[in-house]
Amino acid sequence: MATLKLVNVSKRFGEVIACSNIDLVVNEGEFITLLGPSGCGKTTLLNVVAGLEELTEGEIWIEDRMVNDLSPYERNLAMVFQNYALYPHMTVAENIGFSMRLRKRPKEEIADRVGHVAQTLELEKLLDRLPRELSGGQQQRVAIGRAVIREPTIFLFDEPFSNLDAALRMRMRVEIKELHQRLGTTSVFVTHDQEEALSLSDRIAVMRFGRIEQFGTPEQVYSLPTSKYVARFIGSPQLDIFEGDIESTNEQMNYRIGTERFPMPTLTQLPDKPVDLGVRPEHILLGSEGAPAVVHLVQPIGPFTYVTVTWEGGNATARVSGVSRLRPRDKVNVSYDITGMLFFDRESSLRVELN
Amino acid sequence: MKKNLSKVILQIFLISFIFLALGPILWAIVTSFLPLSSLTAKPIDLDPTKFSLRNYFEVLDTSRGLLSGLINSMIIATFTASVALVVGSAAAYALARLSLPGSNFILLAILATQMFPGIVIAIPLFIVMSRLGMIDTHFGLMFVYLSFVLPIVIWILKGFFENIPIQLEKAAAIDGATNSQTFRFIILPISLPPLFATGVFAFIESWNEFFFAIILTRINVKTAPIAISEFAGQYRTLYGQMLASAVLASLPVVILAIVFRKFILEGFVEGAVKT
Amino acid sequence: MSRSSLSSSLNEIRTAGKYQRSRLRMGILFSLPAIFILLAVLAYPIISSFILSFQDVRLAAGGIVTEFIGLENYAKIFQDAAFRNAFNNSIYFTVIEVVAVTILSLGLALILNHPLGRPAIYRVVLLIPWALAPVANAVLWKWIYNANYGVLNAIVVGLGLSETPIVWLGSPFLALNMILIADVWKAIPFITLLLLAGLQNIPRRLYKAALMDGATSWQQFMHVTLPGLRTTLIISIVLQSIWALKVFDLVFVLTKGGPADGTVLLNFLSWRVTFNYLNIGYGAAIANVLFLLMFLLALAYIRALRPRSSSNK
Repeated sequence: MATLKLVNVSKRFGEVIACSNIDLVVNEGEFITLLGPSGCGKTTLLNVVAGLEELTEGEIWIEDRMVNDLSPYERNLAMVFQNYALYPHMTVAENIGFSMRLRKRPKEEIADRVGHVAQTLELEKLLDRLPRELSGGQQQRVAIGRAVIREPTIFLFDEPFSNLDAALRMRMRVEIKELHQRLGTTSVFVTHDQEEALSLSDRIAVMRFGRIEQFGTPEQVYSLPTSKYVARFIGSPQLDIFEGDIESTNEQMNYRIGTERFPMPTLTQLPDKPVDLGVRPEHILLGSEGAPAVVHLVQPIGPFTYVTVTWEGGNATARVSGVSRLRPRDKVNVSYDITGMLFFDRESSLRVELN
Repeated sequence: MKKNLSKVILQIFLISFIFLALGPILWAIVTSFLPLSSLTAKPIDLDPTKFSLRNYFEVLDTSRGLLSGLINSMIIATFTASVALVVGSAAAYALARLSLPGSNFILLAILATQMFPGIVIAIPLFIVMSRLGMIDTHFGLMFVYLSFVLPIVIWILKGFFENIPIQLEKAAAIDGATNSQTFRFIILPISLPPLFATGVFAFIESWNEFFFAIILTRINVKTAPIAISEFAGQYRTLYGQMLASAVLASLPVVILAIVFRKFILEGFVEGAVKT
Repeated sequence: MSRSSLSSSLNEIRTAGKYQRSRLRMGILFSLPAIFILLAVLAYPIISSFILSFQDVRLAAGGIVTEFIGLENYAKIFQDAAFRNAFNNSIYFTVIEVVAVTILSLGLALILNHPLGRPAIYRVVLLIPWALAPVANAVLWKWIYNANYGVLNAIVVGLGLSETPIVWLGSPFLALNMILIADVWKAIPFITLLLLAGLQNIPRRLYKAALMDGATSWQQFMHVTLPGLRTTLIISIVLQSIWALKVFDLVFVLTKGGPADGTVLLNFLSWRVTFNYLNIGYGAAIANVLFLLMFLLALAYIRALRPRSSSNK
């Protein structure tokens, strides 16, 4: 178990900048996620940490060693790949024990350790099988077993669940979380699935165009996003952003969108630049109060229904508990919960704290 | 109705195709079992009772040169194929994965080697090899054969190695494997089919080669093709024996091709996909 | 390979860390034996042959004496009737062979692609002629073409197509065509298998889409099959042309260039001039001209491959 520190790490492929000026500190035992869409540089960054790619600039520190010049193996890391990357011609036992075999450990020791690992991952009955005879979930567990047996100081996960169907994903998520709780190894997880990131991580690094936009706890990136990008990326369905102005009169402060005025908390200080308003679906209210709107789409998903309405300020998607009576073309009024207001500087897209 | 007619026509084509493909060969085999008297009879005497292996025994007599030809070809083809596999697979891996500078140039050069007639290098090669005393030696011929078998081996294996998911090699690196260990324990075991296919191919090419064989050998290292051509070029041709020698000299390669047909045919499919 | 990419890879090497450097070392180590062999056997002789073609080479007193004569050898080529003859023969041979092999192989590949042609036996049957040594092939056909006892005459005379046995290898043009037949017979399997693989590479759904659009079989062939086969066809033609120009064993065993030089091909001519007439410089010149011919051919075809590439997938 070790701390991981990235200092000003950049990776360029010729002219293309994959990651730039990454500063990151992962504490001992922490489970962090690199989250972002394809092409944001998260996998490249992971490969750089692993030593599979050479960084262009910067330093990587594991515990108190600078590991820039060390091979992946020397860094004592283990990695679980997206496509499992199991050696197709070796049995499960041979796959898991490969790293020990390379170090020429005695056969009994290998068999012993492999047996242990197989037990914790419920793979004992599959030890003699070949990868192609296993299901997706089983293969993934073998990949994890191959990583676990190394007793590495840091675990790296490269979108390990992308190839699994939805139900299996949920189960594997639980397994990983349990594994982390049990072993407590520092882990870096890469995914594009924000729900996965929120459920698994101690902290999340939201990435975009090779940079980290925000590095914080799930709560922080959800409720206190640093930018429109983070606010939109986290949370499903996406939050809605409205363009409007703050109006202050003596009695009341309002946020005016078009011709509609919505109440807001009184501010001691007005921002000097225009701000946009962001509201998450659970804070959008449909009922008799607020601006007139027309129902556009109704999507029931079981415990909730997402109702999208069209109004003067654009579209808004509300999360309604249970089943909704609303149907498309119904008329309804839309407003929002004052506590759920997020303000973003219109020009820089950064969130501003208003008090 | 129309569909049945086209099916019948197709079937006829297929059967005649088999006759055309195998006909000449079967005819040669039949001939090789008949004595000269039957063959020169008019019309030709195809009496099965006259079938015998006599031609084969006479042709294999050590004084006729075929036996030593077969042995020489066996030695040379086996060694050439083995060395080509070892050296070629390593080079193919380097080109596929190990980011060699100038690899594009090397690839083009490899392609170019397939494109010129042997005669271009024959004389200079002959001169150099004479000076080095490599004329009429197994090693000399092998070395030359390597030069035109290697490019194909490298070309085919490189394509195959490139298709191996790179994550496998990354996993091996994380597990602590060096480049050579990755090559030995991961890449090669997975590549057995194309390795066999290219090995067989290299063997066949070496076995069948004629041009450099006649230029670079004298007496000791006569290969099977040379032996056959001598049978064919005799003043008084013994037809049955001529064909018996051709059959014998072709048996090893044909058997190899049939035994490894799956790998060879798969090789064609791979090749087409790459283009 | 362009200058900039070479310099950028060199740059990458300079800035590479210890880990990258070891990979590079490995790469060079792995490929060194192969490169060494290829350079030794091919590079030096090719250059040497080029130089020889500018020289008059004579054997004297147990060694060779070379004298620089500039372009004389090449000039001689243009005046040499034997060269013109061999050139014409080679062009005729190559063109007819490529056309015949391509058409016949395409037909065969189409048949084998059909459900009726599925059984593996048909593909195995193809491997046998392919595996034969060209010399063995030559012997095969020598026997078939035998004027007195060959089976071809037996068939031709027996069917009444001719009253007397034909000396197949006895007249120049006829002999050339008989050699052509023998080579075409041997060449078809490989090209067929290549085209078959190319055919199987064409996605089925393109045919389904064409069928939905109301295309007849012929239209499907013209608009789905042929375009899909374009790259494979071009490669087949290139390979076959180069191989046709390289033909040697057949000529050597069947006719030794006769009768009346009717079957002398460029490759064979170069060999004869070099090893029989011992005019090494001239032989080298002819060889280099042949080399140039093949090179230009390959270039032309590669150019034909360039535009509209990778639209098949």
